[in-house]
Amino acid sequence: MRPRKIMVAAVTVATVTATLVGCGGSGGTGGSSGKPQAGGDLVMARADEATSLLPSVPTDNSAIWIIEEIYDTLTVPSQDGETVEPSLATSWKQSKDKLSWTFTLRKGATFTNGDPVTSADVKFSIEQNQDPSAPFSFIDSIITKMDTPADNTIVFHTKKPWSPIPADMALYANSIVPKDYGGMSAEEFAKKPIGSGPFKFESWTRGSSLKIVKNPDHWNKEVPLLDSVTFTVVPDSNTRATQLASGQIQINEYPAYSSVKTLKNQPNAKVTAFPSSEVDYLGMNNSRKPFDDVNVRKAISQAIDKEAINKAVLYGHGKIAGAYLSPVTWAHNDEIEAPAYDLAAARAALAESKVPDGFTTTLTVPSGDQDLASQAQLVQDSLGKIGIKVTIKKLDPAALVTAKKAGNYDMAFGLYTTDIVDPDEIARFAGSYTGGVHAVYTWFKDPRMDKLAATASSEPKQSTRKAAYDEMQEIVADEVPFIPLFYAPGTYSYSTKVNEFHPGGTGNYFLKNVWLSK
Amino acid sequence: MGRWLIRRLLLAIPVVWGVVTISFVLMHLAPGDPAATALGEKASPEAVAALRHLWGLDQSLPEQYWSYLGQIVRGDLGDSLYFRASITSLMVQRLPVTLALIVMSAVIASLISVPLASRSAANVNGPVTQAVRMFNAVIQGAPTFFVGSMLILFLGVRIALFPAGGYPDGVVQRAWALVLPALTIALSIVPLLVRGLRAAMIEALGSEYVSFARSKGLSDTAVNRRYVLRNAGISGVSILGIQVGALASGALVVEQVFAIPGMGSMLMTGILNRDYALVQACTLVFGLLVVVVYLATDLVYARLDPRARLS
Repeated sequence: MRPRKIMVAAVTVATVTATLVGCGGSGGTGGSSGKPQAGGDLVMARADEATSLLPSVPTDNSAIWIIEEIYDTLTVPSQDGETVEPSLATSWKQSKDKLSWTFTLRKGATFTNGDPVTSADVKFSIEQNQDPSAPFSFIDSIITKMDTPADNTIVFHTKKPWSPIPADMALYANSIVPKDYGGMSAEEFAKKPIGSGPFKFESWTRGSSLKIVKNPDHWNKEVPLLDSVTFTVVPDSNTRATQLASGQIQINEYPAYSSVKTLKNQPNAKVTAFPSSEVDYLGMNNSRKPFDDVNVRKAISQAIDKEAINKAVLYGHGKIAGAYLSPVTWAHNDEIEAPAYDLAAARAALAESKVPDGFTTTLTVPSGDQDLASQAQLVQDSLGKIGIKVTIKKLDPAALVTAKKAGNYDMAFGLYTTDIVDPDEIARFAGSYTGGVHAVYTWFKDPRMDKLAATASSEPKQSTRKAAYDEMQEIVADEVPFIPLFYAPGTYSYSTKVNEFHPGGTGNYFLKNVWLSK
Repeated sequence: MGRWLIRRLLLAIPVVWGVVTISFVLMHLAPGDPAATALGEKASPEAVAALRHLWGLDQSLPEQYWSYLGQIVRGDLGDSLYFRASITSLMVQRLPVTLALIVMSAVIASLISVPLASRSAANVNGPVTQAVRMFNAVIQGAPTFFVGSMLILFLGVRIALFPAGGYPDGVVQRAWALVLPALTIALSIVPLLVRGLRAAMIEALGSEYVSFARSKGLSDTAVNRRYVLRNAGISGVSILGIQVGALASGALVVEQVFAIPGMGSMLMTGILNRDYALVQACTLVFGLLVVVVYLATDLVYARLDPRARLS
């Protein structure tokens, strides 16, 4: 080798070595504070692309959380996710006969095309979500009629007394759009959405990025502080993390749990877990033997070492779940504790069942989800200790949903989140046979659950409602149709330049409050 | 040549029909309902049924197949169930990105392979050959997503020469953003290309026409350019042409890793969401791409090697 080439080779080796050493990273987290500053473009990278910005159409969070920034709803979830606050409606009242709700609209609110927001727009918007083909039509199906006695007054008549209406009106699918889509067809409107929210739609390059900009005419003149927000689609979590490290983006949505420790060590970035309504569970098909036997379900519940799973898979970020309603909701029953990991008690429960010596079964997990695959192996190991032989079966996500809907599975993991701050939706969805998916595909049927849910939604008094929800949670804890495993937080890593970023319990970003340090 | 071309184009029709039919059957046989997936778990059965009807999924399989074939013949790719947009409009945005990526990958692969192969061929058992062998073994063993992630880490974050993924606005910025993903794909076919080119070059170097050229007093550079590379290039073009499938499937992984909004990432989204129309359309376009490249390879081959007759 000639001297010049040796030099080049040496420099190359030195550079690569330095780069490798440098990748260890150092430093710590840090926050910036001070006086809020206006301006700047915030770039947030997310794993998935939004499907549609027409409020009544999508069900994916990627679309929902943008919709919440460009449209207003009558009410809005509070930051803690426990109640609702005024938004386009300044006040609301239930009638004396409890069969209607009157909402008074804010004066001076306008759409981004300059038109005022009126009760006629509200009526039109809710009607769109009442269409039977709309995924969230079940939320508004309780409304029988809408009256618009004045431009700033809308009256919702309900089939029966219905307490969750103020919370229902904070649902993204009930976002207010201009009547008749401002003279456009739904397809045209979807391409150029018009709302009255703090941000307005700017552009959307499918598969790449979606940009929203500050709405200077928003009724709340204090917000937003940012000039614009760009949502980019970055499916790979490693790439999102490296983009944050290189300063290309400011917020990385849902970093992998396994990467949180490394991300925390990155200079100029912080990682925060925000309270979310997500509950992770292990579902059992109660319509199949031997899961129709409560002793079998109890045995499984006691044989699973949730602490170990939380440590190994969620890196300690989850909170061990007791009651099936998340602590984010006011209806959460904090007296219910998770059954302790106790193999002796699990064996004793199994001994009382129809299969005292154990059995062979399957646990279906979505392919491509490494966290759930690891979780399944830990469950497999635990259950093996009490004589339950588990085979792990992988199905791709769409096929797994179909299998669950058809009841064609033994055990499977799942998660649920609430879309409204009232407990009604999730209490039914997860606990009731008639709640939409047969108690999260467990086919658990207990008429007491339906009766209690009906009482809870009709009663105006919060204490009476709470008592009913407490009892529902006790029934699920006793009957164990599924095993709540963890209350999972919403995790974000973001630049230390990002201030006041606090996603709410239902997932809303509340970007209007966010500002960037210069 | 005209007759040859027409015959090849006619032969492409059953190939494309086969691709369309196989992708249709496979997608529809796979479990998973696009309407249920699109509407989410909380949608009522009525909502799912209404959407299935709207999308024509409540028709029998032969009816759906027949209507799909009719659409294809009319040049209509249909609407994406997941993106709720016309597939043609999605393709207009995505196809150029993937084509640019594939072309850039092929160019980078050639730029890396030709010098490596010629240095290694000129010095059969020397240190360069050993180094190239080692490089080939390492690169061939490393999965594409790993190579991509490493490139992002070093060239995107540490040295910050290229963006760490993403597809910005502006032609120059976009070309720059495509370098790392194209390099990742290129590296996946470099070992094969180097081996093929090297073997062809060694053969050429030992041939009589090269000895004759040398005896005429031509310089090494001139011999290499005029005789060795030209003859070895024929083999290179063939390998590159055959590798177009690998380039396209490389795009599938690399577009996910680098967040490039091309056909590959769209196809992945389509598969995961059981977006029948989208997957079928992407498969069709990839199928057409392979057919066209094979055709182009044959044409270039004939141009480089007068012995190959197009008949």
